[in-house]
Amino acid sequence: MLNGIGGSAGYGIGTAVLISEGKPEYTPCEVSDAEAEIKRFEDAVTLFTERTQAMADAMRETVGEHNAEILEGHIVMLSDPFMQDEIKGMIRSGSCAETAVDHVCDMFISMFSQVEDELTRQRTTDIGDIRVRLLKILTGTPEVNISEVPPNTVLVAKDLTPSMTAGIVKENVVGIVTELGGKTSHSAILARALEIPAVLSVENVTSMVTDGMTIAVDGCGGSCILNPSEAETEEYRKHREAYLKEKEGLEVFRGKPAVTADGKQVRLYGNIGSPEDAEAVKAGDGEGVGLFRTEFLFMETDQLPSEEEQFEAYKKAAEIMEGKEVIIRTLDVGGDKDIPYLGLSREDNPFLGFRAVRYCLANEASYRVQLRALLRASAYGDIKIMVPLVTSVEEIRRVKELVADIKKELDAEGIAYNQDIQVGVMIETPAASLIADLLAKEADFFSIGTNDLTQYTMAVDRGNAKVAYLYSAYHPAVLRSIRNIIEAANREGIMVGMCGEAAADTLLIPLLISFGLGEYSVSATSILATKSTIAKWSKEEADRLASQVMELSTEAEVAAVLKANKR
Amino acid sequence: MVSKTVTIVNEQGLHMRPAGMFAKEMTKFQSDIFLDFQGKKINAKSVMHIIAACIKCGAELTVECSGEDEQAALDKAVSLIESGLGE
Repeated sequence: MLNGIGGSAGYGIGTAVLISEGKPEYTPCEVSDAEAEIKRFEDAVTLFTERTQAMADAMRETVGEHNAEILEGHIVMLSDPFMQDEIKGMIRSGSCAETAVDHVCDMFISMFSQVEDELTRQRTTDIGDIRVRLLKILTGTPEVNISEVPPNTVLVAKDLTPSMTAGIVKENVVGIVTELGGKTSHSAILARALEIPAVLSVENVTSMVTDGMTIAVDGCGGSCILNPSEAETEEYRKHREAYLKEKEGLEVFRGKPAVTADGKQVRLYGNIGSPEDAEAVKAGDGEGVGLFRTEFLFMETDQLPSEEEQFEAYKKAAEIMEGKEVIIRTLDVGGDKDIPYLGLSREDNPFLGFRAVRYCLANEASYRVQLRALLRASAYGDIKIMVPLVTSVEEIRRVKELVADIKKELDAEGIAYNQDIQVGVMIETPAASLIADLLAKEADFFSIGTNDLTQYTMAVDRGNAKVAYLYSAYHPAVLRSIRNIIEAANREGIMVGMCGEAAADTLLIPLLISFGLGEYSVSATSILATKSTIAKWSKEEADRLASQVMELSTEAEVAAVLKANKR
Repeated sequence: MVSKTVTIVNEQGLHMRPAGMFAKEMTKFQSDIFLDFQGKKINAKSVMHIIAACIKCGAELTVECSGEDEQAALDKAVSLIESGLGE
């Protein structure tokens, strides 16, 4: 059994398709008709360009402008006349096209790998990609096309890039196993959205798996078995059935309020990234939207979206939710989210840098556009404004001033909006947690962003495999922080929610009940499961477990006690 | 040969997109066009060489053009760089 991280729940058994980005084999040969060989190379370039452009166009639709541009960069690089002349020159002196491409790419890779600048050095990866794909065209090796994998496939790869994942056909893929990535990586989020079981961070898996091998994937426990025995296959099949049955069993909770075993009601909401996602929240039985990430609006275009465009998007979400609460987070740019046209400069420590509310308050003119669009949309539903990455009271005060100012503008223009629109704070930094009592006096509500809160509290880059083990919401530091935030909000009588991964964590939910969390915002597909977990605990039982857990001193002890008490 | 010294103004320097755009424009000219940057001569028609040179915002470089359309090439190169290469 190979262990990794469970990235997406569920069990799957299927046949491995290894997504290899390796260089295809070829036999170097002497070429007599150089012009014919050059023609062969040029045809390959034409095909490469067509395919790459098509991929980039498709990606622009599915995963946004930034990823599309990376691919278009490959076309630009290969169109370099100097590079093409080098390749043609080698062909004229007798090399075959494959050798020439391979050699010239090598030359450029070595040229780029000597550059001191990190960003420039990354271009070696691009040249490597260009080489692999060109050689595949020249040798007639089929390109990896995930959309064409047969039914019952388990995808195995180093990492799933956006370009690969764009093509996944949900019906044909029963599992995903990767060497890199964690719970919050692109692969994991995508796998969960598609409801495909996934195990990530499995060391060396790509060198152990061969095409056609049978693999059993346990996305709940985070492990997989290569070539499972009959007994193991049978066991996984049972797990799979039980899992699917449980999923079905959750249906009894549909349409019912989220209540604890002793009848205390909480709000159970869904997270969305676009207005259309609100449909999924409704279909998933969510009572509202606890987090609407607005970045997509900014990432899908090559300029700032206008007030009108933003207004339409926010209004649409509000209308889909039919008067139910919709908490909209203002632009959270920076960190790992780049929006090229904003021209943010590269930072050594982007997560500690110019991002989210810091960027917005420094670019007030464009922030006002977003706030105005939000206010206007508030006339069409129960919209609340949430400010990300707050670290000080001044930030929330300033946002509230801007909102008050825009209200006056709208009044003067006779435009409708919700006079009582709430402005809340996303608590995701240790600073905000430590001053939660002060922020609670200024904010209308809190929402705890556990992903960033954990990362900042533990000082750990969740994408770095060497330290990812430290990234855990079970760490006593993170738990104390969460408790402190919830207690501060409840003392001040403001609503407190949670919109990170932790809100859907079966093990953590009793603690959240005990701390007094009022709103849980989870992915649309986790709403029913979260509701069923909440229903299994009474406040008193949750309190008993919490007082035991909060005495423990290590993450491992906490995890062990929570697991032992799992319901 | 004609030449002129210019300063890179776009914030991100000559990375992929601006470098690609610049090189593509330069290939439209017959003249040989080089960028003299920190003593290195970079072929201005080669996006690969431009990127590898890692030319940052604020860097000074000299554009050198020689050939039939050298003045037109120089004018175009200078105006592109000074306008921030579309960024």
